[in-house]
Amino acid sequence: MRATRSARTLAVAAAAGAALLLTSCAGGDLTSSSGSEGGDDAATTWNDATADLSGVTITFGGGTAGGPLDGAIEAFQEETGATIERVTYPDPYEQNLQTRVATGDIPDLASWQPTTSMLTALQAPANLLPLDDAPWLDAMDPAVRDIAGFVDGTRYAAIVSSPSVMGVYYNKAVFAQYGITELPQSWDEMLDVARTVQAGGGTAFVEAGGAQWPTQWAVQMQLAEAAQDGLWDEVNAGETAFTDSPIIDAITTYQGMVDEGLYNDDLRTATFEDQSAHLFAGEGAMALQVNALLEQLLTQYDAQQIDDTLGWFPISTDGTVATTIPDNKNGIVAFKTGDAEREAAAKQFLTFLMTDYYPTYIEDGGLVSIETDVPNPDTVPQLAQDIAASLGDSVGSMQSLAIANPDLYINLASLLYGEMTPEQVAEATQQQFAQLAQAQGAEGF
Amino acid sequence: MATTAPAPARTAHAASGRAAAPAPRRRRAVSYPSWMLWPAFAALLVFFLVPTLLNFVYAFTDWSAFKQGFGFVGAQNFQRLFADGSLLSSLRVTLVWAVLVALLQNGFGFVLALLLEGDTRVNRGARIVFFLPVLLSPLAVGYVFQALLRPDGALNGVLGALTGTDVSIAWLGSTTWTIVVVSVVQAWKWMGLSMLIFMAGLKTMPTDVLEAARIDGASWWRTLWSVRFPLLAPAVTFNVATALLGSMNGFDTATALTNGGPARSTELLNIFIFRTFGQGLYAQATTMSLVLFLTVVIVALPVILYLRRRENVL
Repeated sequence: MRATRSARTLAVAAAAGAALLLTSCAGGDLTSSSGSEGGDDAATTWNDATADLSGVTITFGGGTAGGPLDGAIEAFQEETGATIERVTYPDPYEQNLQTRVATGDIPDLASWQPTTSMLTALQAPANLLPLDDAPWLDAMDPAVRDIAGFVDGTRYAAIVSSPSVMGVYYNKAVFAQYGITELPQSWDEMLDVARTVQAGGGTAFVEAGGAQWPTQWAVQMQLAEAAQDGLWDEVNAGETAFTDSPIIDAITTYQGMVDEGLYNDDLRTATFEDQSAHLFAGEGAMALQVNALLEQLLTQYDAQQIDDTLGWFPISTDGTVATTIPDNKNGIVAFKTGDAEREAAAKQFLTFLMTDYYPTYIEDGGLVSIETDVPNPDTVPQLAQDIAASLGDSVGSMQSLAIANPDLYINLASLLYGEMTPEQVAEATQQQFAQLAQAQGAEGF
Repeated sequence: MATTAPAPARTAHAASGRAAAPAPRRRRAVSYPSWMLWPAFAALLVFFLVPTLLNFVYAFTDWSAFKQGFGFVGAQNFQRLFADGSLLSSLRVTLVWAVLVALLQNGFGFVLALLLEGDTRVNRGARIVFFLPVLLSPLAVGYVFQALLRPDGALNGVLGALTGTDVSIAWLGSTTWTIVVVSVVQAWKWMGLSMLIFMAGLKTMPTDVLEAARIDGASWWRTLWSVRFPLLAPAVTFNVATALLGSMNGFDTATALTNGGPARSTELLNIFIFRTFGQGLYAQATTMSLVLFLTVVIVALPVILYLRRRENVL
């Protein structure tokens, strides 16, 4: 008797528990919170930067701890009386924040990569506040202002620092040693420089195959002119695939460079730190990398040391068109939480950061200014200024312009080990892209 | 895992001269209120049963980070995943890893248990030392070994000092052998636990059997293989089952060591699932998770049946 009674009660409890969980999980509609209610009003409300916000508490997700954002948040709290709670998401940051958003646990603000593919992953039109009429946009450098942050023509991310750019970092001493006095103006010229260095007994390129993610820059940088001609629009529409020219050609060229022996001996296992160490020590002439390399070096050396040792130039197939790839330190997004007061406060923080506080922000962070009337701080290396200057003649990367972000770098890392041919890399990447595009409901997939 | 099996019919083994089995212990009539089990059942229900059921449901949908709500798409996810080939290759890597870990972990554990059987002070201290890795965080172990196994790391340094030449083997850079290296690290981490279980088995062996073997003149080696190892069957069942099935769910150590590289040769299925989930393809990740679950069940049933049947020799 006791057994059947407890079994029955258990069954009831099980059913109740299952029903509870299923209803809460069903439909994934948690993201369509009552955000739309306050959304329309909040979209047009832009408070003054230092308007009083006593009693308002908002949350800020992510953002480098110990970076210039700390000062911005403290200053904002002092000036307005608002409270900003920092929320940390453990690595991998993007995945964790995405997962929380999918369950409805949204912060008010968050650091986020302002690229189309990453904003789409957050379902920008449903979850983020549009920032089209932000008050600081006119003060921004026109070369930077519209570079990123858009989904379907609406601005969803605020660019807060100079976007990361793919380029070639070179060791000045090594270039001098091999008699290279002029910077290459095309991919072929760069390969000639590489062969000169190699012929002289040096190592032309330093790659971080062990870290995997840097392998994609060599391929992407070759696509700059094609991207300017609308390559990624065609890829997004399913008209051009990764297995077609010019992408497959770029991958094949990369394979050729590796086969020719233009890379470091520990190409396959070198970590990101190894790569920067090799380059700085002059054990290699060039490294194709993004701003992360400069930031990594700035943790060990000061601006003067870096400028004395390294230089930078952009490169593309037929010229020097730079390819931009804003990272999650470059952008901040504001979420639709449904609470009009908090949404307005979140946008007010952005205004505060980009107007009143901006000079202090870039001074603290040693960042290049992206506003026309705010000069660069003295601590900014020439390298960073060169990088920012290239934005004028730049184009977006796959991450910026494609609707989805396949793991091209993982397939390229397999290529380095000879496990995949360029055709297989292209095929695998295309399949992943198609899968992601289809999940988004994109036409043509 | 099954708890106590019903007492099997025991047959005397003439070869080992064993005594007849002892009479079954009288079971005390104990009854606890069943509601004492409910909190545990509730936790089991919420964190294991319901997610597993939902696994079956979501695998047939198009749930992703990119859209609100989801619809049912039949077996499309399964078709795609198997056509791709990457799921099968990850599954193969996972099975190789699981078998290697089970063999190595229990091999090391058994040897250690034999070596440290005696209750001397040195042995007692050594047991603690060998058990410490079990308590370490798997991620920490992975990161430490990643540093040790670098081409310019400590292991190559030691080998170089011993051989007098410059050694720079890329232990974590071989698409064929890194999986073995990673398995060794995992086995090293958990061998202390295997050692403990085997030691418990060795110490609870009926002494009259061992004395009979000694009197019959069996050598240490013979005693080990013909008497002690068969009697260790329950410990072997536990160790092999947990090592094999537990490591099929491996993730932390491999991620910290190689992150699935080089060229995805150590990409365990869990790492692949994690990556797919991170891309926002929740339904595909759930499908892979379901495939892993079914694989574990398919592997577990014959393995456990065989091991349990082995115990019937007692």
